[in-house]
Amino acid sequence: MGLMIEKDIQGTTTIFKLKGILDISTVNVIDRLLDETSEIKTLIYDFSELEFLDSTGIGSIINSIYLSQERKFYLKLVGMNELTDELFETVGVYRILEVIQREVI
Amino acid sequence: MYFDSLTYNFPSNNNEKQSVMDKSLQREINLARNIQSQLLNGKTPTFEGGEVSGSSLPARLIGGDYYDFYLLVNGNIRIVIGDVMGKGIPAAMLMILTRGAFRSAAESTIGPGETLTAMNQALYEDLRTLKSFVTLFCADWDPKTGRLTYANAGHNLPLFIKGKSNSIEELPNVKGIMVGGLPNQLYKENHVYLEETDTIFFYTDGIIEAQNKKGERYKLERLIQTLIKNKDLAVGEIEKSVINSIYLFTEDVPQKDDITMVLLKISQQKVDITSLNSPVLG
Repeated sequence: MGLMIEKDIQGTTTIFKLKGILDISTVNVIDRLLDETSEIKTLIYDFSELEFLDSTGIGSIINSIYLSQERKFYLKLVGMNELTDELFETVGVYRILEVIQREVI
Repeated sequence: MYFDSLTYNFPSNNNEKQSVMDKSLQREINLARNIQSQLLNGKTPTFEGGEVSGSSLPARLIGGDYYDFYLLVNGNIRIVIGDVMGKGIPAAMLMILTRGAFRSAAESTIGPGETLTAMNQALYEDLRTLKSFVTLFCADWDPKTGRLTYANAGHNLPLFIKGKSNSIEELPNVKGIMVGGLPNQLYKENHVYLEETDTIFFYTDGIIEAQNKKGERYKLERLIQTLIKNKDLAVGEIEKSVINSIYLFTEDVPQKDDITMVLLKISQQKVDITSLNSPVLG
């Protein structure tokens, strides 16, 4: 199984709904989509239909956090299941998001 | 551009040229694999009163998991286990970088928290440039007092196997973000006291995420069952039992992620360290 991203634009908010697996074989889908997306004020990653992510997938989310600092947009992570939430907490994704977003705001 | 005509004498035919390059690349990958294997699976310390052991199985020819032991001047042993983002050659290159940072930091820092802080300082810029990160768990074991002091940089918590009560639980939590995530991080420490027959099982997530034909994962529950069943064995035998259990579960499904584990088992408190793969100071 690969990764499918449903892109939904609501005004200045862009929502990426991730479906499937975010790993070393699929992360380029996110990178490509981010390159194609301009004029973002708020980006939301919706993980509610994500089945699995590995360390490369986490790296891709961290890169998006740093991109939000560079391109000055708000970034939100929603819909994490218990496992993904625990993983983000353990490796420090939430802490990095908090620090970088404070700078963006 | 680097060109070394002594290494490559390219034939004029394109297919032959490709074949020469493929063979050369394969040879270099095998050499890289040997280097990594020797650095990872070097001598382990032997001592009275306990035993440690570590092993790593890369998913590909080479991998990004890392573990190491370091004898400190005060007689304590510093243990580290880590997981570099990604797989294969890129992860292996960063693993070597991480090893260098650990060996350098271990010598000049007083505790595991300070070691992780120094490693983050040393690696942060490079890891951000390369859009990567490393999770690390570092612990100091004091054989005189039985105290295990530890700090965490985004890694999963090791398992504490209590020999007397026959129970297994994660080490009490201590938070800290991955190395390469943010600059200027200070890593807090926590500690436990180990008694005779207690074991600490450090590991990377490749163990619990190993998949079988149905796409099911090995999971923490199976690992705990395997450890409970084999906890009275020597550390090397416990390692083998975990690897066998994973193989039995996954059958012929190719390994997707690197698998690494380190065990520290206490047999008695009076300890005399006799050898180690790191320089002995003092």
